Amino acid sequence: MIEVKDILVKAKNRLILDVPSLRFEEGKRYGIIGENGSGKTTLLRVLMGTVQPSQGSIEGLNLDHNVGYLPQSPYAFSFSVLRNIMMTLENVPSRNDLALDALDKVGLGSLTNARGNTLSGGERQRLGLARLLAVPKTVLLLDEPTSATDIRGTDIVEGLLQEWFEETRGLLLFTTHSPAQALRMADEVVFMEDGKIVESGNPQNLLNNPQEPETQAFLSHWVF
Amino acid sequence: MELINSIFELLFGSDPELRQIIAVTLRMSFFSTLVSSIIGIPAGVLLGANSFRGKNFLTRLVNTLLGLPPVVAGLLVLLLLSRSGPLGTFRLLYTVQAMVIAQVLLITPFITAMTANLVGVNATTINETLVGVGIRGAKRLKYFLLDFRVPFISIILAGFGRSIAEVGAVQMVGGNVQYKTRVMTTAIMMQTNMGRFDFAIALGITLLLISFLINSIVNRIQKVAADD
Repeated sequence: MIEVKDILVKAKNRLILDVPSLRFEEGKRYGIIGENGSGKTTLLRVLMGTVQPSQGSIEGLNLDHNVGYLPQSPYAFSFSVLRNIMMTLENVPSRNDLALDALDKVGLGSLTNARGNTLSGGERQRLGLARLLAVPKTVLLLDEPTSATDIRGTDIVEGLLQEWFEETRGLLLFTTHSPAQALRMADEVVFMEDGKIVESGNPQNLLNNPQEPETQAFLSHWVF
Repeated sequence: MELINSIFELLFGSDPELRQIIAVTLRMSFFSTLVSSIIGIPAGVLLGANSFRGKNFLTRLVNTLLGLPPVVAGLLVLLLLSRSGPLGTFRLLYTVQAMVIAQVLLITPFITAMTANLVGVNATTINETLVGVGIRGAKRLKYFLLDFRVPFISIILAGFGRSIAEVGAVQMVGGNVQYKTRVMTTAIMMQTNMGRFDFAIALGITLLLISFLINSIVNRIQKVAADD
């Protein structure tokens, strides 16, 4: 279980994130929804240690073991797509096969020899996911994993994450702008605004019957 | 026509002094670029890829050193290496090594600043991506070096260009000694002072042709590196 305790992040005296208490349990999928600038990405960055909070602590997350993080715009290195995957598989005997398998899964099997820096935004996101899934993980933190993918790409990513979850029963934490995606993929939804947790709970309940005015205002823009 | 004849004579003739001048020029430029790259590229990656206390100060310092006048660098090295200077016992003044030291002083900030600027643009995204797959600390350096291998070659080449074209510092610490420390630029300056403008121009064009040849070779290397 990951426990977020009294986290405060400030930048130039502006409050970016204020989370007094939050828990993420293994065997569950969490979707964090909210508008741009609501603090979703900062929360993931604090969990990954790339942003240092001015106060508070994270407990139960060992970054050295089986934790994977996909930033919103994952970087694709200028070497081949295959090598972009193999970089995570150093000292693994069958690294070539594992990398090819990971690329096939995300639908990039035909691009193994392409330069990473020639990929589109959506392809980069799928490449990033392939890099994570090539190595066994028990915790996945994904920052808007389908923000640049097309419908087919989104379908592939969601399918793979579902498959990963069923196989590992690990902890999946993803951010999204899409309430529909949260409804499809999450066991629990957390709504954030202005760096604070406004409301959380079962996706069906929260999205169909929001209690807080901020959540209601956000969901009023949701077009089916 | 006379000028063209002079250039051809210089390039393909058998003037031993000229061959020696070209050899010293290439040796000095090669070693100064090599040492500057070995120091400047990792330093630039560290500066550009990381956030740390004092980063802004260091960046300003490197950028200030970009404007270091070659004669000031030459003067510093001259004072260091002169007999009464702190490194006088090594007897390096008026040697190619002294010229290399002065060049390193000039080119290293240039390579460091160019590398830091290049790497800094995507540093946050690269760092997040590497952290996301469990690659942290010093291991990151390898991927920065691999990813920017092609632009790094351009930076090294630009450093080499500065080195081969430099005159003030090498004149001061090398002394333009015949058959020892005379390089293309100091030879051009000497010929100009002697009023032998045609010979000076011929030397200048020879220098440009050598630069063009080296650029062509490096471009081939860049293409191979890009395809790798």
